[in-house]
Amino acid sequence: MAAASASSFTSLKSRPAPGLATIAAVKSGAPLSFSFRRPVPAVSRLRISCAAKPETVEKVAKIVKKQLALPAETPVTGDSKFAALGADSLDTVEIVMGLEEEFHISVEEDSAQSIATVQDAADLIEELVQKK
Amino acid sequence: MGERAAAASLKFVTVQANSASLAEARARVFEFFKTTCRSIPTVMEIYNLQDVVNESQLRSAVSSEIRRHAHITNPKVIDMLLQKGTEELHNIVQHSKQRHHIIGQYVVGQRGLVHDLGTKDEGTSDFLKNFYKSNYF
Repeated sequence: MAAASASSFTSLKSRPAPGLATIAAVKSGAPLSFSFRRPVPAVSRLRISCAAKPETVEKVAKIVKKQLALPAETPVTGDSKFAALGADSLDTVEIVMGLEEEFHISVEEDSAQSIATVQDAADLIEELVQKK
Repeated sequence: MGERAAAASLKFVTVQANSASLAEARARVFEFFKTTCRSIPTVMEIYNLQDVVNESQLRSAVSSEIRRHAHITNPKVIDMLLQKGTEELHNIVQHSKQRHHIIGQYVVGQRGLVHDLGTKDEGTSDFLKNFYKSNYF
């Protein structure tokens, strides 16, 4: 999910502002295309995709490895899904509880449902720590 | 920690669980597990378990208890188990149990008594050790 939002973030940068394209088209006499994209609010997108620090991801990965009893060499990156690492739903809840204890935060029910990868968890933690 | 414990204890004023489907029972199980995990710091403080065990060990004890019944698919049976679990949690948090109950049931748990790594046989030879075990070695 983080990769998708990151790619949409970069594509926002490269896309020209829709208003300018229409004005340029009118000036040059080219046929107007009314199918320009909706102006997207850039500010709220930015916050979500570049949130987590690497050491938060490291801590999350350490807790995940300990909970699932994985050997230390297993690569656990931001994109690793919990299900792919061999965690069932109870393991996922337990990992979230472990993160709650480690970072002294409290995760809401609906936020916990949306956690699927290590990066999601790290982003949510950063958000909650900042709110405190 | 104070507000987590307070929030956890509020849940004890619950109605009888009556799940319509397996999915609802599943959701209740996760809720119960979360409530239990959030009560763990309170439990450790009540029974002075800080030197005996740490929170993640208690958490894994709780999850292994839940996992023992993971194969059950009847929502009514799950409700019954949840009720027993809630009652147990209530007893523990209200200090109706005692420290040796907690240690025996959840710290030492299903492994049985902790075997002490006795030092009495360390010096003896391998021959004698095998001799005590069986005739054929």
